[in-house]
Amino acid sequence: MADVAAPMAGKVIDIKVNIGDSVEEDDEVAIIEAMKMEMPILTYASGTVKEIKVAKGASVEADQVIIVIE
Amino acid sequence: MTTEDRINELIALTAEAELGGGQDKIDAQHKKGKLTARERILYLLDPGTFEEFDKFVVHRCTDFGMEKQKIFGDGVVTGYGRINGRLVYVFSQDFTVFGGSLSGPFGEKVCKVMDLALRNGAPVIGLNDSGGARIQEGVLSLGSYGEIFRRNVQCSGIIPQISVIMGPCAGGAVYSPAITDFIIMVEKTSHMFITGPQVIKAVTHEEVEPEALGGAIRHNSTSGVAHLAARDDRAALDKVRELLSFLPQNCNEKPPVKETADDPDRIDPGLRQVIPENPRTPYDIKKIILSVVDDHHFFEIQKMYAQNMVVGFARMNGMPVGIVANQPRFLAGCLDINASDKCSRFVRFCDCFNLPILTFVDVPGFLPGVAQEHGGIIRHGAKIIYAYCDASVPKVTLITRKAYGGAYDVMGSKHHGGDINLAYPFAEIAVMGPDGAVPIVFRNQIKESADPEKTRQELVEEYRRTFASPYKAAELGYIDDIILPEFTRSKLIRALESLKTKSDVRRLPKRHGNIPL
Repeated sequence: MADVAAPMAGKVIDIKVNIGDSVEEDDEVAIIEAMKMEMPILTYASGTVKEIKVAKGASVEADQVIIVIE
Repeated sequence: MTTEDRINELIALTAEAELGGGQDKIDAQHKKGKLTARERILYLLDPGTFEEFDKFVVHRCTDFGMEKQKIFGDGVVTGYGRINGRLVYVFSQDFTVFGGSLSGPFGEKVCKVMDLALRNGAPVIGLNDSGGARIQEGVLSLGSYGEIFRRNVQCSGIIPQISVIMGPCAGGAVYSPAITDFIIMVEKTSHMFITGPQVIKAVTHEEVEPEALGGAIRHNSTSGVAHLAARDDRAALDKVRELLSFLPQNCNEKPPVKETADDPDRIDPGLRQVIPENPRTPYDIKKIILSVVDDHHFFEIQKMYAQNMVVGFARMNGMPVGIVANQPRFLAGCLDINASDKCSRFVRFCDCFNLPILTFVDVPGFLPGVAQEHGGIIRHGAKIIYAYCDASVPKVTLITRKAYGGAYDVMGSKHHGGDINLAYPFAEIAVMGPDGAVPIVFRNQIKESADPEKTRQELVEEYRRTFASPYKAAELGYIDDIILPEFTRSKLIRALESLKTKSDVRRLPKRHGNIPL
């Protein structure tokens, strides 16, 4: 199990995966917008997307889990 | 005794001294993957240049049966030698002798080389591998630590001081390296902490392994205590040699110029594509750094710590420079507490040793947040201002993209003494971004509009065209020139070379300033 978390507080402007998708390390799974920047969120683990914890458009805190990979 | 006897005596005693704590202790050291104190010195210095001091020093302790255990050298190997032909002083703690623990005479040996280093204006390198204070010596040992710390402070800013942690370094012993300019740690075999895992468990009931508490990676990534990590002893010592190649011997000399075959007017058309069309898309600032420096070689410092700020050394047409850059790939390149500390300490170092500061700016602002405010971002951010304003070395700044708000000011701006300030045509230099500014400036116009969202968007676009550009700053002379990216290398080298004769700013007499700490 690996938790992919937000590196900083911001707004989730895109979720690039669906539950059940298989992902490889360094795949882009979401995009967060903060401080005039759209930051791609990369997974640091390979596996299957088990859970998506936030919806597109939601605000997240730093270190808040966005996606759980199994 | 005949003359020959006396000579043989010296040869025998020398051999005994050079064996340190004995062959079994040396074997144990090797088994841990570590070199001995003497092997480290011989690897670090140019072959055949090491001259040792105080080989026959022994401790004077008579308590706890210590008078029966005396070993030549008393746990530290000291002396001087050459690195790339240049004089350096070195002390290397010998873990095979009383666990490298620090006694009174041990401290005196270290102080002796530090004093000589200071008097002769040469760097001092400390190789640390010690169990800490020698308990049998009592307060004498503490006195010795204190004498070393004071010398570290005296030397600070006069000669470069480099610490390599190659074994345990705990308790008060950490503070000598902490005062020095750079700490290099060896992965897996080195640890630094004030209180170790056992004391922590007894006092706060936290359980933590030494590696997780104070290993090389921890101090290079989380705490920012260390500046470089190396996979083994030799790799760490190689880094010392390379680091010194960028530095002068002392604060009165210029850093050594190294001939390069890299054309100072080399053009890189690829630089036009590094910065994405969409200003909201991140990119790697190191691509620009690597493109413009000599031989694409960048010696990065604190690579794993506060990655939103990049610092390190490189050469520009042979001339060593300190590079500071915002990194849009991490935290959007925002300035936060850790990035502020990293940047300001590095700028201070460069100013100590006549290294010009080359700054690449792409900063959207200071990182907002309760944790940052409560953590004292005001106090920490102020350090960057102090460091840049106080630095009298040549300062050349290139704004690659964003330079917003107060962060524009602090990153080597004209107002803080930037000698030559350049910008790319994509630069956005403004008090705030369009999305933030428009609702404030045009509040009434938007409110009264028949279609507020459309009006807002139109105004955002207009604001972006007018203010999110380098031209307003260029009109005011805050930017000396707007350059084409492919010519970055040659523009920066010309700027730096024009500043070679820069004389120190005139300072009003004072004891010393009061940098926010």
